[in-house]
Amino acid sequence: MTAVGHAAHGVHEAPAKRLGINRLGLWFFILSESILFVGLLMVRFSLLGTYIHEELSQLIGLMITVILLASSFTAYQAERSMARGDLGATKRNLLITLGLGTVFIAGVAFEWHEALEAFPPSTVFGSVFFTMTGVHVFHVLTGLVMLAIVHRRVRRHETTSTDSWPVEASVKYWHFVDVAWVFFYPALYLIS
Amino acid sequence: MSILKGIVGGILGYLLGAALVTSIRAATGAEPWDFEVATMGAYLPTVVGWLLGVGVWEYWARPWFGREAKPYTTVGWRRYFNFDTDHKVIGIQYLVSFLFLFFLAGLFAMVMRWELMNPGRDILTPSSYNGFMSLHGTMMVFVAVAAIVGAFGNYIVPIMIGADDMAFPKLNALSYWLVPVVVAFLTASFLVGGYDTGWTGYAPLSVTTRTGALFFNLAFLTLGLSSIVGAINFLTTVHKMRAPGMTWSRLPIFVWSIYVTSWLSLIFTQFIALAMLMVVFARTLGMAFFEAAAGGDPLLYQNVFWFYSHPAVYIMILPAFGVTLEILSHFSRKPLFAYKWAVGGMIGIAAMSAFVWAHHMFTSGMPDVLLKPFLASTELISIPTGLIMLSALGTIWQGRLRLHVPMLFALGVVFNFLFGGITGVFLADAPLDIQLHDTYFVVAHFHYVILGGGIFGLFAAVYYWFPKMTGRMMNETLGKVHFWWMIIGFNFTFMPMFWIGMNGMNRRISDYVPNLGGTNRMISLAGFFLGMSFVIFLWNYIYSWWRGADAPSNPWGATTLEWMTSSPPPLENFDVIPEVVGGPYTYGDKSAKHAILEPRL
Amino acid sequence: MGAERSDNRVDLIIVAVLWVALTGAGLWWATVTNLHPIGASSNAVISDEAFDLLLYLSMPVTTFVVVVLGYSVLRFRVSLDETEDAAPVRSNRLFIAMWVLITVGLSVYVIFNPGFTGLDALAADKNAEMTIEVTASQWRWDYRYVEENIEFLDADGLVLPVDTRILFKITSQDVIHSFWVPAFRVKKDAVPGLITEVYMTTTKLGDFAQDDGFRNQCAELCGTGHTRMRTTVTVLTRVDFIAWVDAQRNAEVSG
Repeated sequence: MTAVGHAAHGVHEAPAKRLGINRLGLWFFILSESILFVGLLMVRFSLLGTYIHEELSQLIGLMITVILLASSFTAYQAERSMARGDLGATKRNLLITLGLGTVFIAGVAFEWHEALEAFPPSTVFGSVFFTMTGVHVFHVLTGLVMLAIVHRRVRRHETTSTDSWPVEASVKYWHFVDVAWVFFYPALYLIS
Repeated sequence: MSILKGIVGGILGYLLGAALVTSIRAATGAEPWDFEVATMGAYLPTVVGWLLGVGVWEYWARPWFGREAKPYTTVGWRRYFNFDTDHKVIGIQYLVSFLFLFFLAGLFAMVMRWELMNPGRDILTPSSYNGFMSLHGTMMVFVAVAAIVGAFGNYIVPIMIGADDMAFPKLNALSYWLVPVVVAFLTASFLVGGYDTGWTGYAPLSVTTRTGALFFNLAFLTLGLSSIVGAINFLTTVHKMRAPGMTWSRLPIFVWSIYVTSWLSLIFTQFIALAMLMVVFARTLGMAFFEAAAGGDPLLYQNVFWFYSHPAVYIMILPAFGVTLEILSHFSRKPLFAYKWAVGGMIGIAAMSAFVWAHHMFTSGMPDVLLKPFLASTELISIPTGLIMLSALGTIWQGRLRLHVPMLFALGVVFNFLFGGITGVFLADAPLDIQLHDTYFVVAHFHYVILGGGIFGLFAAVYYWFPKMTGRMMNETLGKVHFWWMIIGFNFTFMPMFWIGMNGMNRRISDYVPNLGGTNRMISLAGFFLGMSFVIFLWNYIYSWWRGADAPSNPWGATTLEWMTSSPPPLENFDVIPEVVGGPYTYGDKSAKHAILEPRL
Repeated sequence: MGAERSDNRVDLIIVAVLWVALTGAGLWWATVTNLHPIGASSNAVISDEAFDLLLYLSMPVTTFVVVVLGYSVLRFRVSLDETEDAAPVRSNRLFIAMWVLITVGLSVYVIFNPGFTGLDALAADKNAEMTIEVTASQWRWDYRYVEENIEFLDADGLVLPVDTRILFKITSQDVIHSFWVPAFRVKKDAVPGLITEVYMTTTKLGDFAQDDGFRNQCAELCGTGHTRMRTTVTVLTRVDFIAWVDAQRNAEVSG
């Protein structure tokens, strides 16, 4: 009895209700994760005030910020195309988003390479810088994995416009990662 | 079988991560092999490998890659050793796991009390005493944080609100299957020689001390992850899965307690993740957060840690309050007194818990100007806490009290917590806390709150819901023996601790001035007596599960939804979706109804 | 309904009587029992008075809960197989109002007294006659008498003059420790990179042999040696203290 019943678990749930549940759950998740970023900002200001190491590369900082913002736009386009049922545009925009995200990570990697010389993790600024960017990059990476899986699913027509939740979820998460950076960027690079 | 796959996955993950880290180190010219750095790098692959192996891949992730999810075919007792998404299976998994941890940590306490029987050294070196003490504290905190929420939150809350399961059954399984990882890390810390920082793991000690501390940090991080995932699930469940008619003012108080607790977990657990991450990075990457010489701040850790860990005290106690009020109402056969005030009290406690953390730091060297605000906020938190007491006393007053075992434990919570709460007022008084901080007065205080309140609440819940969860009754007489044995042992163990604390016995020491020997010996003997009470419980628990009398669907004559379905409930809990038409506590009013369970047209 | 009411009145009267009696007994016990160990500093007076005041204030609260709890269990219990319900009283405005008023009143009161008054009293006098630098490390105490210019590394004991206002400046060289002398009711963490300060006035002569409250015990877990990280404390008359300082200087010169 259990085996059969178990497999059928949840199937009688209305799709609209499931979507509402998923959305609320995602928002709770984003709320919780944003607290981690708030905590990091608190650590940053409590340890360093508004101090910024002079060798921090403003150029790279600005470039990766622009790239990440652009990727949020293409992610948004992907979600819109999905809603329209335009799978081609969805795939294209997801792919561009993936590319931009990868460039962002490459930018951070390059910056880390420079930073290791200028302010290694054994300094307080280095500790704050590497932890903040590290935690953020980790979120970017998970976002990229999600987007890649979703892209593959769209390509193979496993996710369609009638069940676009995977696209919506990964794009919302991607926006969250962007917004987190929008707070991190000025806190790390601009305030002083 | 799936556990085996999980272990293989975890080991492969560890090897992969460690190899990656080691090759990066080799490439950058550093000494390639460093156990702690490799372990830090392997943390994530290990956890992911374990989770994928244990069932995430087969039952969940396969469709992401265009494959069919494996059909779920496990039946019978094997379900409990499997990645099962049924909230009732998960609830029992949590219960058994955390009872196991509780008894193990209790054995450690016995070892500690043995050492403390006499002044001087008895059986442990100071170092191994610190190890037992740290593990005892850590494991008990984990039990207190997760046992009631994990076991009864999972099992009972969906039924109480008339849902067929939690909002995210697979996430639910995931949050449970993180628990073995926590246990594995704690075991690993034990194997590499333990750690001597206590459960609070203060930096900079936790940065410079032995390797075991790293595993403690990773264990706490993992438990935090599990809590957050669980909190998301509970919040969404309570918001979205309530049966028709189950308005917020009709929620049983236990559901409210889990709901409020989940908000605390959702918000504050991130800070423990942050604190643990900073220590791990300080240990492995040489980061300088807490290093005064490099410009870091040694007090930063305490601030971040207590910003989670004080709210965590309410994560531990609020579910016990929920259980207690729930039981007091049902066994007084009287509606819960001042329901809205009790809910308000819980919300008030949760809201204020964000503003009291530094009362753990009155002697820490924090700026003097902050003493007064934190003293004030801490004293004020006794107001919402008082509302819980108000509700409890108002409920039993002029009730018709049936002193079944769960009721005895619930009354025990009120009695014990009274002393825990009142002594909290003493400790909140900063001028006095200077003397009492880090003494046995504090040890006694938090054992009255967490053991006397939280764990008595856990046992109340076990006795109360055991028939529902297993379909069998526990032995009433053995239960009563357990209760009286436990509450007498408890009070004789911890009441004298207030006194030795005031008289100069500080925490976390394996030796003390000879003058305190007599009281310490008495405490140890009472502690062993307390410890033995659990033998009765274990016998009753195991035997009743195996051979106990069959439980009817509603053995206590209680009014909430979980008693309107069979014991144990069928898959998806109800044959028809219940329609809630009134409040949960309908005692004394024959015409009142909580819910209708009839097939509707 | 009428019968229930009068029942309630009898119950209330019994509870009130028990409450008053138990509170009285409790307060009597609290006044005749000395719960405190020896107190040998100005700070000890503040700390002990705070404790006693809180004990008195908490007595009626504790006894109220105990009496209501105990009375209810004895008076309102029925046999286990009874199924009849109690009267559905869900609220009682007067009781709730009184409860809230009293808990708010008490909480706010203890914030100011003994809370703020105690903190103000501790911080009132910042003129020390004597400064001692206390440095903790794993696992030892170093004391430096600033004015006397003598220093003890890995000290066995801390020697102080009586009736003297002393400033302790405390720091650590490695992890966090805590400077605690139970007899003085003084406790302050020793934090690396930070100098924490404690002011207090010695008020009684004494030493460790006479009462073990005269000891400096590390109160913050600092690793393996934490348990034994302590030194004795001795309070001498001012004359004896001067003689002791001279003796230390001479020893230093000859050593």
